[in-house]
Amino acid sequence: MSEWMRKILESKRAARQQLRALTFSEKLKLLEKLRERSLAIAESPLRRRQRNR
Amino acid sequence: MKTTLEIINRMQAEGIICKYAIGGAVGATFYLEPSATFDIDIFVSLKNPQGSPLLTLTPIYDYLTSRGCQTDKEYLMIEGWPVQFLPPGDALDEEALQQAVETEVEHVRTWVISAEHLVAIALRTGRAKDFARILQFVEAGVLDPNQLDAILKRHGLLEKWEQFGVKFLRGNP
Repeated sequence: MSEWMRKILESKRAARQQLRALTFSEKLKLLEKLRERSLAIAESPLRRRQRNR
Repeated sequence: MKTTLEIINRMQAEGIICKYAIGGAVGATFYLEPSATFDIDIFVSLKNPQGSPLLTLTPIYDYLTSRGCQTDKEYLMIEGWPVQFLPPGDALDEEALQQAVETEVEHVRTWVISAEHLVAIALRTGRAKDFARILQFVEAGVLDPNQLDAILKRHGLLEKWEQFGVKFLRGNP
């Protein structure tokens, strides 16, 4: 594995660890944002056009 | 989410439901990093209607729809969140509910299924997304191996766990 890739994986692991360490309330706020974003993407005209193909 | 839980707590205080605990992806978020989900799974124990051996979700539906909640397929929409109420289907669900962990969401008291029970339930359910979640739990190192082992043994899931290990953990569950 290249040094560059190793650094990316390490930073991803650290970011996940940071997210895990948040309180349940903080995590649920993030989860709500993720959900809103996913719903917005699902409702976008581009996505609907793809679904209708 | 806070308001959704407040309404479920009110339902519990008014005796519509007995014990409840959050499971599924929202429950997993208690232990892991958040991941997108569209619904909330609530494991719930219900009172048997007088003289009936059958458990029914009707009191929950009646309570919530009379307070303006809409239904959508198997979900009840509570404050914008689709909530699925799941009465225990077997001894594993029953145990998971009884041993749920008490916590708070913005000062609202609630309960979450333990990490080990979430893994056992995911293993039993066995869809691709369940296996992915088990891997997240393993990678996060949040499981108590003795506790998990005991649960898997009690509920006849050891063989499935070994198969999972061979397939996803390089033969080392």
